[in-house]
This record gives sequence, C-alpha cells and structure tokens, in this order.
Amino acid sequence: VVSVFFIVGVIFVPVGVVSLLAARDVVEIIDRYDEACVPGNMTNNKLAYIQNETISKVCIRNLTITKAMKQPIFVYYELDNFYQNHRRYVKSRNDAQLRDRRKANQTSACEPEKTTANGQPIVPCGLIAWSLFNDTYSFTRGSENLTVDKKDISWKSDREHKFGKDVYPSNFQNGALKGGATLEPTIPLSEQEDLIVWMRTAALPTFRKLYGRIYFDLKVNDTITVRLNNNYNTYSFGGKKKLVLSTATWLGGKNDFLGFAYLIVGGLCIFLAFAFTLLYFIKPRLVTFNSSLLQSAWKVISCVLDIHVTF
Amino acid sequence: MASERPLLISTTPGASTTDDGPSPHPPAASLLPPAQPEPPLRADRLAFSVEVPDPFRPSRRGDGPFDDPSAASQREREVGDDDSRGVVVGEPSPEFAGNAIRTAKYSVLTFLPRNIFEQFRRLSYVYFLVITVLNQLPQVAVFGRGASVLPLAFVLFVTAVKDAYEDFRRHRSDRQENNRLASVLAPGTAGDFQPKRWKHIRVGDVVRVASSETLPADMVLLATSDPTGVAHVQTVNLDGETNLKTRYAKQETQVRFSQNGGVGSILHCERPNRNIYGFQANLEIDGKRVSLGPSNIVLRGCELKNTTWAIGVVVYAGKETKVMLNSSGAPSKRSRLETQLNRETVILSIMLIGMCTTASVLAGIWLLNHRGVLEFTQFFREKDYTTGKNYNYYGVGMQIFITFLMAVIVYQVIIPISLYISMELVRLGQAYFMGADKDLYDESSRSKFQCRALNINEDLGQIRYVFSDKTGTLTENKMLFQCASIRGVDYSSSKDTGGYSVVVGDHLWTPKMAVKTDPQLVKLLRDSGKNEEAKLVLDFFLALAACNTIVPLVLDTRDQKQKLIDYQGESPDEQALAYAAASYGVVLVERTSGYIVIDVLGDRQSDRKRMSVIVGCPDRTIKLYVKGADSSIFGITNKASELDTIHATEAHLHKYSSLGLRTLVVGMRELSQSEFEEWQLAYENASTAVLGRGNLLRSVAANIECNIHILGATGIEDKLQDGVPEAIESLREADIKVWILTGDKQETAISIGYSCKLLTNDMMQIVINNNSKESCQRSLVEALATIKKLRAASSNGTLGPVLTSETSSVTIALIVDGNSLVYILETELQEELFKLATECAVVLCCRVAPLQKAGIVALIKNRTDDMTLAIGDGANDVSMIQMADVGVGISGQEGRQAVMASDFSMGQFRFLVPLLLVHGHWNYQRMSYMILYNFYKNATFVLVLFWYVLYTAFTLTTAITEWSSLLYTVLYTSLPTIVVGILDKDLSKATLLGYPKLYGSGQREEKYNLNLFVFNMLEALWQSLVVFYLPYFAYKRSTIDMSSLGDLWALAPVIVVNMQLAMDIIRWNWIIHAFVWGTIAATTICLFVIDSIWILPGYG
Repeated sequence: VVSVFFIVGVIFVPVGVVSLLAARDVVEIIDRYDEACVPGNMTNNKLAYIQNETISKVCIRNLTITKAMKQPIFVYYELDNFYQNHRRYVKSRNDAQLRDRRKANQTSACEPEKTTANGQPIVPCGLIAWSLFNDTYSFTRGSENLTVDKKDISWKSDREHKFGKDVYPSNFQNGALKGGATLEPTIPLSEQEDLIVWMRTAALPTFRKLYGRIYFDLKVNDTITVRLNNNYNTYSFGGKKKLVLSTATWLGGKNDFLGFAYLIVGGLCIFLAFAFTLLYFIKPRLVTFNSSLLQSAWKVISCVLDIHVTF
Repeated sequence: MASERPLLISTTPGASTTDDGPSPHPPAASLLPPAQPEPPLRADRLAFSVEVPDPFRPSRRGDGPFDDPSAASQREREVGDDDSRGVVVGEPSPEFAGNAIRTAKYSVLTFLPRNIFEQFRRLSYVYFLVITVLNQLPQVAVFGRGASVLPLAFVLFVTAVKDAYEDFRRHRSDRQENNRLASVLAPGTAGDFQPKRWKHIRVGDVVRVASSETLPADMVLLATSDPTGVAHVQTVNLDGETNLKTRYAKQETQVRFSQNGGVGSILHCERPNRNIYGFQANLEIDGKRVSLGPSNIVLRGCELKNTTWAIGVVVYAGKETKVMLNSSGAPSKRSRLETQLNRETVILSIMLIGMCTTASVLAGIWLLNHRGVLEFTQFFREKDYTTGKNYNYYGVGMQIFITFLMAVIVYQVIIPISLYISMELVRLGQAYFMGADKDLYDESSRSKFQCRALNINEDLGQIRYVFSDKTGTLTENKMLFQCASIRGVDYSSSKDTGGYSVVVGDHLWTPKMAVKTDPQLVKLLRDSGKNEEAKLVLDFFLALAACNTIVPLVLDTRDQKQKLIDYQGESPDEQALAYAAASYGVVLVERTSGYIVIDVLGDRQSDRKRMSVIVGCPDRTIKLYVKGADSSIFGITNKASELDTIHATEAHLHKYSSLGLRTLVVGMRELSQSEFEEWQLAYENASTAVLGRGNLLRSVAANIECNIHILGATGIEDKLQDGVPEAIESLREADIKVWILTGDKQETAISIGYSCKLLTNDMMQIVINNNSKESCQRSLVEALATIKKLRAASSNGTLGPVLTSETSSVTIALIVDGNSLVYILETELQEELFKLATECAVVLCCRVAPLQKAGIVALIKNRTDDMTLAIGDGANDVSMIQMADVGVGISGQEGRQAVMASDFSMGQFRFLVPLLLVHGHWNYQRMSYMILYNFYKNATFVLVLFWYVLYTAFTLTTAITEWSSLLYTVLYTSLPTIVVGILDKDLSKATLLGYPKLYGSGQREEKYNLNLFVFNMLEALWQSLVVFYLPYFAYKRSTIDMSSLGDLWALAPVIVVNMQLAMDIIRWNWIIHAFVWGTIAATTICLFVIDSIWILPGYG
C-alpha cells in the first residue's frame, strides 16, 4: 500500500511540475470590450445602442504585449453568461439539413427559427445558427497589418462530414429579428468556418471560440491596435465579451489547475507514504489496509489521468 | 373418540408345515386404525393377516374370507344437506366441474393483455412506464422516443417470450393429461366399460382402474379385485409418501357390484376441499345409509398398486379434485435484503424529488431574473416570429412544473431499475455455483444441490434459527436392527451379513435388505427344537415378524428366478424388525386376509403403547405376542416368576438406550384353547357393542394381556446421517439456534437430541408435557421463574471475569410436547413460550403435527426480526418449510413433497453447514455489496448530471449523450458488478468453515444497513464532485464543446466506479479482471463509436 502511494506520488509530482511550468509559459492577453465599446452617452441604455443599426459599432482597442509571444498566436473571443448549453438552444438545429442539400426541408427541432413567414425552410435553421456571433476583429501593429488567418479554425471532421459542400445558406437571417451574423449565400456551409465553430456548442456558459490565428511573433511592449465591430448583443442578458490572444503549448491553454491538481495529489501521496512508513515503525499494528484513504487517492488519480487521456 | 376397529378373522390353519422343529405357523395379525381425523398423516392402519412360514421352507399362499375392515370406523357425523353434493352412482352429472384440467394461464387471445397486466404488477415496471410516458410528452421529452421506449420494451418482450414458452409447455402437458384414457362404465349398462378420455369423465361416472394405473379423478371405491374390498394406492404424487396406503370399498357396494354392477345408489359427499386426509360422505344403498370416510376415497394422481382392479364412482373431478386444489404452489418469498432495499429506494426517491425540486425552483428563479430579456437573448428567444407566439414557453409557473418532470426523467437512474435485473442474474449465477459445489453433492443418493427459489439466496447468510425435522433429516430414516436381548442374554455382536432366501416354486425370494446377524443367535435358531432356549429365540423372532403392520411386496429383479421382498410399512421400526427377523430366517412372505387369528386392538403409538397379536399356530397352540415400550410391557409381566430375566432385560435396555438406540420389549403368552375362546367371545361382544366400544375393547385386551413372559428386547438404531453432530456443533458456534421439531415421542426425541450432541449432560432440561391449558400455563411460568433465578444466581454469585463464562454455562434445554402445544399455540400462552424458548439454548418439540411445526416457526418469525430456516424431508414438513423464511428440503426417502415445497433442496443435513456458513455468507456479502454499489454508482452518475445542470441555466441539458446515459447502467457499469456479485469471495471456504463465528456478520446485518447506505451516498457525493469539477476547472474558459466534455463526464464516472469496484474486490480471478478492465475499454470504444456516428450531435 505504502509503495503504491509512493509510486503514484513520485510520478505525479513531476507531471504536475511540468504541466504547471507549461501553463506558465503560455502568454495570454485578455481584453474585455463590451462595456468599453459602448459610447459614453449610451452606457445607461446599452440595449438601445446595440439594437440601433444606425450607430456605428466600430470600436478601437489598444493592447500592450506584456511578454513576448511566439507564433502562432490564437485569437479567441470569449463570451460569458451565454448559455450555449441551454436546453432550448442546444436542441434547435437539424444536422441532416446541414449535411445534405436534398434535406433542406428537414427543419424539425429547429423551432423557433424554422421557416420564413411564408413557409420557406431556413438553411441553416435553428437558434444556434441564427445566433451566430458577428463581432469582427482586425489587428495592426503600428502600420503593419497583422492578418488573421481564419482557415482551419473548425474541426476537420466537421467540415468534411457535418456540413455539406453543396449546402448553401438560404432564407438565413431574413426574419423580423436578427440574431447575429448573416452568411454569404454563395459559399457552401462547409466553408463557413465561423458557423461551424459556433455550432459546436460550448459546454459551459463561459466559453471561448477560436476566431483565427496570427502568424506573427509579438515582442514585449508592442502595442497592437484592434479594430473591432461590436455587433453582437450580449447586453440584453448581461453577458461579457472578451477578446483573447494566446500562445499555445503542448498542454493547451493557460490553465494552472491541472498542474496544481497533479502536484497536490502527488504530494499527498508521498506524504501519506511517509506517514504510513513512520507509523509502521512506531506502531506496526496500526497500519492495516487503510482502504478508504487509498481509494480516495485512487479516485483523484484516476480522474486526473482521465482528463489527460482525453487531451 | 378412540374407536379402534378390531376385527375378527376366522381361524384357518396355516398352509405350510414344518420339518424341523415346532415352529408356529401362519399366524395373522391385524390391527386397525384408530380412525382419528387428526393428526392427518398416516391416519389409517392396515388390516392384514400374516403368514410366517417355516424359516427354510417354501410356503403356499392361502385365502380366506375377510370382513370389511372399515365397517365402523368413521365419525358418525351426518353430512349435512346444505353443504353436500349428491351424486347418483353411474349417472354422469353435468352439474359439477368436468374432469378437464387447465394449468395454463393464458390462451392465444388473452395472452397479450393478461401477460402485460401480470408484468406490470411489478412496481418497478410501472415506474419505468410512467417515466417512458412522461418522456413522450413533447414539452418534457428529454430522450428521443426510441431511446426511451427501448429498454422497457426489451424487458417486457423478453419476459413475455419466457412466459409464453412456459405456458405453451403447460398447455401441452394439460392436453396430454386431459387426453389420457380411462375405462368408464357406459351409463345404463352393467359391467360394460368403455375407454373414455379423462377430460370427458364427469362426476357420477363409474371408472375402472387397473393395477399401476393412475386415478383420473377423486373416486369413492365401490369394489375391488380383492373380495374384501381392499385396494392399495401409492400417494407419492399427493403427499410424497412412498409407502402403500390401504383403501376399502364398502362391503355393501362390493357385494352389490358383484351382483349388478353397483349402480343406482346415491352418494352424498361434502363439497370439494383441499383436505387430503379428510372426506365425509354417505351412501344410500338399498334403503340403507352407509357412511364413508377418508379410507373409502382414492384421489386423483394416486396410483393403484398390488390390486388387480378397482372400481369407483367419481365424486370430484378436474379442478375440484384434491390434488388440483392443493397445487396452488408455494407462496413466493422475498428476500430480506430485497425488503430492506425498499427503505433505501424510498430514501432515494426523496433524494430524487429533492434534486428535481431544487433544479426546477432554481430554473424558476433564473427565469424570473431574466424575465424581461428573454426575447432578445439569443440562446432563449421566447417568441417564434413566424407565428408571433411564444415558443415552448408557458410562463414561469408552468415552466417550473415542466422542468420538474424533465428532471424526474433525467435523474430517474438514481433509482436503479437495472438493479433488479442484475440481482436476478447474480442469483442465477450464485445458484449455479452452489449447485456445482461438490461439497453439496450427495454421492449416495446422487442428488445435487438445487436452488428451487431463485430470489432468496442471500437470506442464507442471515439465518438465526434452524428448525429441523428429525426423521429423514437428522436421521437417515433407516432403522437398523442392532442388538437383541433374549431371555436376559445380550446378543449384540453382529458380524455376518445373513442373507436368507425363501424358495417359492422355482423362484428365490430374498428380503431386500440384509441385516447383520449375530452368529451365535443364528446357530441357536438353527438348532431350534433341541432346547428350550432356542425355542424362545424362535418365538422372539416370530413375534418380531408377526407383530406388526408390514406389507411384504414382491418385486421382480433382473434375474428371473430371483425376487426381492420389500417390506412396506408405515413404521420404519417395524420394517427394521421384520428385516431383522428375515435375516435370522423368519421371513414374512405374505400377508393376506387368509389367516387365522384375532387381533387385540393395538396401535403401539396410542396411549396403550403396546401392540399384541394373537397367533394360532398349525400345531394348535395359540400364542399371544406383545411388543411395546418397556414401561408398558413390564407392567403386565409375570413378575414373580422371572425376576432375573426382567432385571437382565432392564439392564440391557438401559445399555441400549444410552447408546441412542430405540428399544422395544417383546413378550409372549401361550393361550389355552378355552382361554382363547373365552376371549374371542368377549371380544366379539365388545366389538359389536354400541356404547363405549373403545373402552370395552380395551378392557378385553387388558384382560388377555397379562402374565406375559418376557421374550426379550430389541435395540434399533435410528441411524444419524453422516456428520450431523458436527454440523449441529458448527451451526451452534455460528450462533444459529437449532430447534428440532419431530413427530416422534419424547423419549426418542431426547435420545436423538443426545446422539446428535444437541443435548448434553450439563444442560438443564425443562420439560413441558401437559394435558390442559392451566397446567401448561403453570409450567411455563414456573420454567420462566426458574430461568430467572438461575440467571440471577449465576450473575450474582460470581462477580468479575468469571461472570461471562458462568452465565453461559447455564444452558437450558426446553422440551415441549405436541399435546401441550395444542394449548399453547394460537393462544395467549404463545408469548410465554416465546420468552421461554428464546432463553433456551436448545428446543426440542416432540409429537408435533405438521401444522404445529408451522405454528412454531411462525412463533419466532412473527415476533423477531431473525431469519428462520426450516429443513425437512417429508410431507409433514411442508407447512413448516413454506412458513419459514428459507425452506430447505432434503431429497431423501420420504418422497419429494418437501422438496417441491422447498426453496433449496439437498441430499444431506450436514450440507446445511457449507450452505449457510460458506455460500450463505458469500451470497449475503456479495449481494449486499452489489446493491450498495449499484446505489452508489448510479448516484455518482446522477449527481454528475445534477452538477452540470447548475451550469446550464437549470435547463436539464445533459452534456453526456442520451445513449451514454442509457448505456451507463446497462453496459458501462453493470457487467462487472454482476460478475463480482457471482464470483467474489471475501473469505475462503476453509476460513469460513473453520471459524463459524464469521457467520455473525450476516445475522447482525453488517454488510447492508442504513449507515453503509449513507456512507455510500456520501462517497457518491464526493466522487461526483471530483468527477465533475476536475474537468470543469480544467476546461473553464476554454474552447471545449459539449460533446467532448460530455464524453469526459461519461468516461470519468465509469472509470471511477469501476476503480472503486476494483478496490473492493477481495479475490481476483481472470474473469473479474476481464470484466472490470474490459468494461472500461468497452466504454471508451463505445464513446468513440457514438461520436463517430454522423447522425448524432456528438459526432467528432
């Protein structure tokens, strides 16, 4: 028993250290702009601001790079308090329609964004597509234009199997209320990568979605100017919008949690191993098979392992 | 009401003569049943005469007239007209039920509705159904329609197919049974018997049955091939007893039938009832009223034996026959764990409601907070603009309600429906391994252990009381003649196996069983005639052979010339004595009505405790043989003249009984011709007397039974089964109280108690043996007071560490007798008896009737929570076996009735030890673990689902796909628990047998109780938190999508709960390895497969 604890500890502590270091290496710049982009005279009535199409939504943000960032730099937008996992929402789509041109009429489950008023099927139908995020970002460093590569931001399998190459948007965003972005009717769904990314619904109410990649190295104290179109209405439900620039490591994003988890579990195991050994020398009879402790440890271990497996 | 029926038989000289020695000749004996209605078993005795041939000579048979023996036997209670049915003999009446039987439950038309109705009587199915129906409502639908209906449909379908198959088989056997042929008297004719299908036989038909044929319906005998109207039937199908029973046709009908076919009389009988042993009717024949009793009726399902033919009139047919009325089957039992499981189910239901309420209230609050903005919130959008109405939104109140219902559907798994199926499977597996256990296999009878009831395996691990039958259960029910004391000389050294045969014609007849003989005795017998001593020895054995109620049956063997004589009788003691006599050369060959002699009434087991036979010998001497218990025989001996013999015999008797042998004393008196005639006259007078017949007969008997010469005594071993004392010792060490309930008399019961070490000499015995309620009460109170005093004395007298050992040393044995039980059971004295009995370490109940056995079991079962087990082998144990929580049948000699009624059956009593201590312990431990684990694993999963709902605006979205949700209980986690439930062993067999104390864990419910349940739930709580929040924090603010995280949340609990299982497994073997790891692998594969099906949203 003691040896199991010890072995687990010995494996976990380094893993924890390594992943912690990796997470520390990630440079992340987060900019919340939903509040800031509202003109000063309309801060009390944000909803009116966003719903008024005559007001320009263009917004300029300046970001200072605090640490050198190596390419590729990932550009995310982060929404908060947006329940993409809401039951009403998550069901409101029809995968058959997205995949197959001949099934354009299949709009079941797409309520309340199913057909146009005169009964024409909407492609892509459903709330998810309707609410497609439509803020846009462009980046400049001084006069240098940092182009955002928007290719391959979605899952390859989605592009190939879930969204048809010959399925074109039709009757989309023609209703009384626009939920978000419009789609270019001449581009097939399989190439509408923003839609594909958006339609892979997030698991949690605070989520990020990939906007694109910038293939430039950024140096410390570089100032980047972001020109963004603040179109998307999160003001009605008090959701935040953030722009995230992040480098990536083998581990993924900047998240200390896993590293800490490994460290804590590993440390605990080693501690227990020592404690048991010590106890054994003091009072041999006390150390019996302490299964519940071991079990608890095991559970944490297996969970952590498990997360890693799915990475 | 002791109306013994003695009978007078004309004295015909025996047919055979003797060469060597003045061996007495064909004597006859007969005795008749005291036709008591209770106790029901073995109600009637046989009437026979006997021929004892010369030991070494062939004999001829004889025949003679024989009075109808059953003439005066019945309770002369008129069958009232209101509750009777009238049957005209020979005129089939369509008024009563026909003889067609129907055991099948369904017909083609009724199958579907009835079967579905039957299935939905299980509460869990109704729960299942409600959930499924709920899910069909469009507003509430959580799962797809197919996915939600499938499991229920599957279970229903499989069960329906199983039921249909079983019913088909019943239909087929019904058809076979109904289409059997019987020869029935064509109405209006005399003696014209036509074949008729069973199903067409009606009440009133006169049916003729030949030897070895099965009786098609319950019939009153009208006539038989025997001129005296005797017929033998085997009732093995009915009550499991294999011995032959004798039934009689009334002399009136017997005569009448031979004249004109017996029709034309009217029979009134009671309404159909289940009592196999009771029947009341009267027959109006030629203006006379003849009363009929249980000895005049033969029942459906019995077989006619030893009688060439018998003719009877059908009185009950088809479903009204006694066998059909009794075939209702054993009441189904539910295991203790399953009952307790209901408590936890209720708790879980409360948890479920709590979770659903929480979710729906929170959802309501969320909606209220966002009331104004829902229209413009992209992920909600209240309105459908094409219609302008609200879409799927009915206001906060309704929304709360709908959320509640949906929550019920999503969290339904917390009540593990699949648990019931898993339990069935586990029990099946356990049953297989119990059946396959070589320790439970009886070599001698080749009987395997059988689990007949598949739902109480785990109860075997919690038994506190064992109620055991004695005969056939503790003992082998094989009486063995062990030793004899003849005229004060002890012959105990049995060595040779004497095989004596009788030559009849060109056949050799050998007794079926050979008894070891004492060479000295054999020598003496051979020399008989030479001296007085040898003559007495011969008399001794003649008494053994004659003074009984044995029916010798001649069986064919493979060898044409060889025939076996099988002694059939109701008393195994008598069988043993007859076999012993046969082995010594005094072979009882045939007993018909042909011979001599008069019987002095006598049922040895009656209050007279002795039995006598008067035998007229060919040499014109008349001898009276008496056999009985020592106390009764010594009372009528000629004390003065043979004091020495008596003393010597008494000494031997003491010696025998201390060896645990059953003893009988045999005496003899020669009667002079005048004495005999005088007696015969008195006897005839007495037996025809109208008033006080019983007493008169008794005094006549007493008059002649005096001045008896003691011939000797016999010692019969009531052989204990192998390993019984050891088994009882183990059971007692395991803190199981063993009670013996026997039909035997007190002395026998006590001697068996000693020989199986249940009773020991340092025990204090309390005997309750009273004849009135008052005296019973008195002795109960006294006994309780004594115990109290003893306990007080032992705890006061010695203080300190000695105390515990001192108190335990005062063990008390309670011996209660059936007579007292009559006054105690079913009255307020029960309570006293219960108190007394629970104070005692050992309880012996003797002379108990079958129903009393059940009453005693109920006494304990109803007053304590302790589990009871009843073990027995005979039909008289059936009620007790069905009453106890667990019934075990010994598949022994006494037929299969007990086995049919039992939950488990096995070959030997000693198997109880491995069954309880090993398999019971294992089963209980595994089943408890499995139930708790199932609660735990489902709770973990449901809690993970619940935590997620907190992050979906309380809308019951599941990140885990619906297929994974369904498969979680079915596939991802169920198989390993089933395998562990079947295979895991917490302790080895050797340990469990070596330390019976370990059994206590089941008795104290250590493996399944509320605390453990709560502990498991807490474990589920914290593990679900870990499983949910580790990924949650790891992927907070990331790009992870629902299906990926959902897969993680599906896989993590599977791994965690299987890991937990792996931790708890005590003994691994490759099967368990394969299943545990295989399941985790299979889950992973399943998740991949589900994700790569394009149709599903999780595809990726």
